[in-house]
Amino acid sequence: MDFSLTEDQVLLRDTARGLLVNECPTTMLRDHITDPSAADRLTAHLGEFVGLGGGDLTDLAIFVEELGYVAAPGPFFANTALFAPLLAALGSPLLDDVLEGTTTGTVALAGTDGSWRVNGETRKTFVPEADRVEWIAVVDEGPTVRLTQGLPTRLIERVDTTRRLFDVDTTGEKGETFEINPDALAGAIERATVALSAEMVGTARRMFDMTLQYAKERIQFDVPIGSFQAMQHKLADMSLAIERATSAVQYAAMTLTEDDVDRHRATHVAKAAAGAAVTRAAKDGIQIHGGIGYTWEHDLHLFMRRAYGSETWMGTTGYHHDRLADLLIA
Amino acid sequence: MKLAYEAEDEAFRAELITFLDQNTPTEVGTRDFGSDGSDGEDIVPEWSRKWQAQLFDAGWMVPAFPPELGGRNCTPVQTLIYLEEIARRGVPRSLHFPGYAIVSPSLLEYGTDEQKKLVPAAVRGDTIWCIGMSEPNAGSDLAGLRTRAEVHDDAFVVNGQKVWTSYAQVAQKCCLYVRTNPDVPKHKGISLLIVDMDTPGIEIRPLRHITGAAEFAEVFFDDVIVPRENLVGDLNDGWRLTQGSLAHERAGLWVEGVARLEQSILALVDLAKRLGADRDPVVRREIAAAYENAASLRALGYKGFASFAQGSSAPEHSYMKMATSEASQAVFELGTKIQGSYGAVVDSERGEENGRWIRGFFTSFAGTIAGGTSQIQRNIIAQRILGLPRS
Repeated sequence: MDFSLTEDQVLLRDTARGLLVNECPTTMLRDHITDPSAADRLTAHLGEFVGLGGGDLTDLAIFVEELGYVAAPGPFFANTALFAPLLAALGSPLLDDVLEGTTTGTVALAGTDGSWRVNGETRKTFVPEADRVEWIAVVDEGPTVRLTQGLPTRLIERVDTTRRLFDVDTTGEKGETFEINPDALAGAIERATVALSAEMVGTARRMFDMTLQYAKERIQFDVPIGSFQAMQHKLADMSLAIERATSAVQYAAMTLTEDDVDRHRATHVAKAAAGAAVTRAAKDGIQIHGGIGYTWEHDLHLFMRRAYGSETWMGTTGYHHDRLADLLIA
Repeated sequence: MKLAYEAEDEAFRAELITFLDQNTPTEVGTRDFGSDGSDGEDIVPEWSRKWQAQLFDAGWMVPAFPPELGGRNCTPVQTLIYLEEIARRGVPRSLHFPGYAIVSPSLLEYGTDEQKKLVPAAVRGDTIWCIGMSEPNAGSDLAGLRTRAEVHDDAFVVNGQKVWTSYAQVAQKCCLYVRTNPDVPKHKGISLLIVDMDTPGIEIRPLRHITGAAEFAEVFFDDVIVPRENLVGDLNDGWRLTQGSLAHERAGLWVEGVARLEQSILALVDLAKRLGADRDPVVRREIAAAYENAASLRALGYKGFASFAQGSSAPEHSYMKMATSEASQAVFELGTKIQGSYGAVVDSERGEENGRWIRGFFTSFAGTIAGGTSQIQRNIIAQRILGLPRS
């Protein structure tokens, strides 16, 4: 049992940080609210890393955690963390094109209730970045996967403006349909879920870092507010939630990479722990910031939006607790 | 990053498992192993004394120690494996921890050659030790302790009172923290003495705690004379020594807390099934949340261990005691809630598991209070790890 990062993994993380600090500033996130093309330059830079979609989840998780730290917009996550593993599970030759960066795609899975489960509905919901990728892989009962292009989409307005989710109408004869092994499909979904959890840990860490810094600098009653025990205990609890989630996500990524028997439980634990961490970081973060945190001008809300956008996507904490209970209480 | 252990570490595990399978006393695993002292029984029963000596002689008592101290010079990873395996089986090494876990490492690091000779018997359990730290007015503020030792040329004269002293009623020796200089800042006037518990002037009164058990005691010192050579380390340098515990095991001590937590959650699932509460969606979600907590804490423990084994500091460990004790408290409370009106019943004929859940809930406060309360732990995390200013 070794949780330490390899030299290559440390290099990957540092490279990601170096790139994203320049290419994904909060000014761009603000531009992206009204103009999605503001993320195009970032997407072009990330092209170099799409190969991670075909590698070990432990590596992809390290990279997307950094994307979460800057609440990166754009199709990279949908393409590498969702579409690529589904193509791999399918054994589709299209995977090579994705990993080489010559095409892109996303996945339509949830039905109208938004639940992250295979269903037979024609209207799919919460499909990420459906209007700026070439392919939409539609998962249906069977299970089957239909690789389609040109389906009608409609943006679902959410508080999170950094990740755009769509309704997709999948009726019609468009695309080619393939059967998929149910276990392989479940594995691809688990991989995407753990990748999202890693991304959420990054978002939580960002809000925590902003808040800790603020608590050290903000002076009230002639002292830094971070010297007050009420603030210290809140920050200690935030950091515990983030440390727990970080470790749970890393463990889950290891179990999926090594096909360990604990991987199903570990996936649900990871998403639930990440959900707890990111929502706590958002709530306590804004509370500790006080009045300034409540303003549009301050950047914190951009990450709070991402936090709740991610908590409610691919299954809420409650959903994953219920699935975990199904595994624990037979 | 990988889940598997190296072959030589698995060989270590296999040897340990063979030893445990062949030698674990039958008293282990029965509900009543180790009395809590509530009914006047010996809190360190004979079978546990034999077992500790057997572990020592076989090199399985503190595996990282050399053979002459009951170990086998094992690596940090192997220590983690050892702690994992005994926790998984619920096998106690010893029913009195101060001697092997706290006194021995302190004496090895700071003791004189004569004092170091006390270590083998402390680890083997031949000598039972207690530690005199807490006082009625020195709990969380431990450095505020007032038990005085007047310094004479050939001896100290001790007067004062200790409380929450575990095993005092059965101990032969005590590591006693005393104030030797009242005129300097409180951390700078503390010394550590080795005191024979049969010295005239020592009075021990058992102290019952909320479950009715009595493994603690109050200890009173009235003009107790302690030879000068029983001073450990330098005069007035005792505070530094309070930090002593098994440094090489500290990185793995969380394993036992997490293992107990996981075992409680499995028992909680059984309880819910027996009572038909396993279909209740609220109960299911709460059990899952408890499992999520335990599983993520296990991962956090391993992550901290990886840093430790590589020689880095591991702030993860500061979270573990606080988080596992609070998680455990929540699980026991959930166990009582699932029983509804029977949640507080300890009647063995009417209640579940002889009141296991409500008793465990009461006992859980030892975890959130002893050894630094959860609130003190949060202060430590905030100030030492997060770098926030002291209030």
